[in-house]
Amino acid sequence: MKLPGTLEALIDALRVLPGVGPKSAARMAYHLMQRDRVGAQRLAACLTTALDKLHHCERCNNFSETPVCELCANPRRDARLLCVVEMPVDLNRMEETQAYKGLYFVLMGRLSPLDGIGPREIGLERLLQRAQDGVTQEVVLATNYTAEGEATAHYLSELLKARGLKVSRIARGIPAGGELEYVDAMTIAQAFTDRRAL
Amino acid sequence: MPERINGEIGLVLHSHPYKETSLLIEAFTRHHGRISLMARGARRPHSALKAKLLPFQPLAFDWFGKGPLYTLHAVEWQGDGRSLAGAALMCGFYLNELLMRLLPPGDPHEALYDQYRATLQELADGLEAEPVLRRFELALLTELGYAQTLTELAGSGQKVEPDARYGYALDLGVTAPSASGPVFAGKTLLDMAAGDYRDPRTLAESKLLMRQLLAHYLGDKPLATRQLLIDLQKI
Ligand SMILES: [Zn+2]
Repeated sequence: MKLPGTLEALIDALRVLPGVGPKSAARMAYHLMQRDRVGAQRLAACLTTALDKLHHCERCNNFSETPVCELCANPRRDARLLCVVEMPVDLNRMEETQAYKGLYFVLMGRLSPLDGIGPREIGLERLLQRAQDGVTQEVVLATNYTAEGEATAHYLSELLKARGLKVSRIARGIPAGGELEYVDAMTIAQAFTDRRAL
Repeated sequence: MPERINGEIGLVLHSHPYKETSLLIEAFTRHHGRISLMARGARRPHSALKAKLLPFQPLAFDWFGKGPLYTLHAVEWQGDGRSLAGAALMCGFYLNELLMRLLPPGDPHEALYDQYRATLQELADGLEAEPVLRRFELALLTELGYAQTLTELAGSGQKVEPDARYGYALDLGVTAPSASGPVFAGKTLLDMAAGDYRDPRTLAESKLLMRQLLAHYLGDKPLATRQLLIDLQKI
């Protein structure tokens, strides 16, 4: 059956969302048009406003409505510490812990040569500039413990250390409350490699 | 006919998002060579599968279905805790890129698979990367039938002499030194055939020869891992 052109265009547009294939996109489009037209209006308006108002923070590269985001502008944060994460969701997770009081830089990705993502695609040069503000003393690398996240951490540490900065990496190992009996073998092996002296 | 394979040892070369919540795994296995596996639901939050499907880690795969895209059923880590770290990770990505670009899927390449495992191990052990990479490049090109013998002259079968100079033609092999192409010491060619890269001249000249051969078989698209290192060096 031939769909009306506008409906087809909407389904096609919804497919830009990660993990949304043609079937889910069609389900979403029918839902919005048939059952929730008010919601659809709001979605359209919010998208337009967000596109207009949201930019990258000059300091941390996270999304912000102001040139410098609230977190970067907060004088109670410890400006001597700079934590590097891959994505905004990672920053949110770090904040939930309330264990960290320093500032952040969000790469918006990771080095991944086989996906064609190099230093230009992530904000690598901006991070180097940001870290050399004269206030930052230690850069904490909190990229993921995947092969790509590890490679990113390695090259960042080389570049940052060459500029006289102290660099650390978040630890990996047995999860809090973890019992060895139930922890997977790879995690235990890595925890063993990364063991620390007491 | 649908097949079911259990406990096949192999490694992940790369994974891509596939459909809504799945991952498409490019793997290199010992008995089935390069294959594509669909890991259903591996991109759902807290998927136990995704955390195991890391490159450079020996895994035992269970899969079923009809090719060319099989369905991954289960995966079990088979490692010993030693893994690539630091700059060696980029060497690992380079090996994986070469395999994905040059190795056709579906055919077993057991000797090459063993060489790949050994190469990863050497990199994990912190051996100097350049000789390790040269040995793997030559093994890969030889396995694919892209490298000619390095110890004899093409045509005549005359032995290569360490002190003489030679040329190399893609489809022929070792030739008399040519005026147009690069020239290699006989010792370089003999060292390469023996896997011995201790001589700095061997290391330099073998890099040139391997690059020339790889460039031909890779075609116009440059290697992403090489480009990334060049870009990093500019910073
Ligand atoms: Zn900010």
